[in-house]
Amino acid sequence: MIILAGTRKGLFILESDEGRRDWQVEGPLVPGWEIYHAILDPRDDVLYACSNTFAYGANVHRSRDRGQTWEHAEQLGLPENGELKLEKTWHVEPGRDSDLWLGGAPGVLFRSGDGGVEWELVTGLFDHSSRERWQPGGGGMCCHSIQISPDGAIYAGISAAGAFRSEDDGETWTPVNKGTAADFAPDDPFPEVGQCVHKLLVHPEVPSRLWQQNHCGVYRSDDRGDNWERLEANGLPSGFGFPLALHPRDPDVAYVVPEVGAENRVTSDGRLGVYKTTDGGASWGLAANGLPDPAWLAVMREGLAFDRLDPAGVYLGTQSGSVFVSPDEGGEWITAADNLPPILSIEVGEWQS
Amino acid sequence: MAVVVLLPSLLATEAGGRNRFEVEASTTGGALRELPIRGLLFDEQDELRPLVNVYVDGVDVRNRGGLDEKLNDGAEIRVVAAIAGGLPRSSSGS
Repeated sequence: MIILAGTRKGLFILESDEGRRDWQVEGPLVPGWEIYHAILDPRDDVLYACSNTFAYGANVHRSRDRGQTWEHAEQLGLPENGELKLEKTWHVEPGRDSDLWLGGAPGVLFRSGDGGVEWELVTGLFDHSSRERWQPGGGGMCCHSIQISPDGAIYAGISAAGAFRSEDDGETWTPVNKGTAADFAPDDPFPEVGQCVHKLLVHPEVPSRLWQQNHCGVYRSDDRGDNWERLEANGLPSGFGFPLALHPRDPDVAYVVPEVGAENRVTSDGRLGVYKTTDGGASWGLAANGLPDPAWLAVMREGLAFDRLDPAGVYLGTQSGSVFVSPDEGGEWITAADNLPPILSIEVGEWQS
Repeated sequence: MAVVVLLPSLLATEAGGRNRFEVEASTTGGALRELPIRGLLFDEQDELRPLVNVYVDGVDVRNRGGLDEKLNDGAEIRVVAAIAGGLPRSSSGS
């Protein structure tokens, strides 16, 4: 089992056996680049990293030798005759067949069919008729959530444009934001688009069930995003937060890390509190045995992950450079690494060969 | 004409470990576009990224003829990341 920890100062790989208790740290890889998100593609053991620098732009690096050597994309950008430029790369996701998907700012999606060498802009989202009603959130107008659903749909989450669903392999996109609030816009609190999605996930085995951590609450949908139910005030100290994790088999289980609020972005109640629901969000309980308390921390939107083992592991990285692992679905947490650079993303995977 | 381009360490890594290139070019921009890391220097609109500084024989090109200035044979082009960075201009979502 490996953890990919994307940080402000490169990528770190943590490796353990399936017990998930003792972790060896390797890195930094891709030094000098801020790694907003990284994955191990289970189809071919290639590592991909959304890489950004202040000087040399936004990119995607790939490694075919377990991180020893890296190459950047040869073609990645917005139309040369347009007004917009690619600002950041935020999330890379394996698609169907050999496809890869890439989300970035300003609210853009790319697709690669050649293993990340060249990326083609998804024009159906770039030219979306609602784009003039989108606005950047605090992290820019980032496309940070890409979900390839087992039922054939593709979902994209953009801050602050909302959630979108494509039924035709990315050609056209429909807003799916009904019931999600835009409390920051009292003149139109439930718009068609413009919601600030922080993280969106589709359950891997029940594709009708979606979960969303939003700027304005935690939500669940049981109809593929057509309608959303707000789930806070039932054990959560706050509806505000960024990351989200699910259980690989049980669709009623989810994990969030609440923060005090939009104006005070630090973990609630002076502790690092992971909250877990086992009843679809009807109630939430603290699952923080072994996590720092007291603590005033922050976990980024990509800072939670889960594996497919039984019991399922849950993984957490903090802006203060710690990686915590729960090998038993949130029952207890162990410290896998400390004193890394600020962690922007956590993903897990297993080498196939 | 033959000119020399010197790269800082991060770009040298991206260029396969080389920090010095000899290229045939008549202008500064032409020389930079011969490099394997041209996409890191120029954006999709073919504009030099704003925090990339380029010096020709010790003078910032933005203070002389720009990227279209004709080069002398043997000119030395040095690429330098601007004094910037540190705290990001925007956060990554928390």
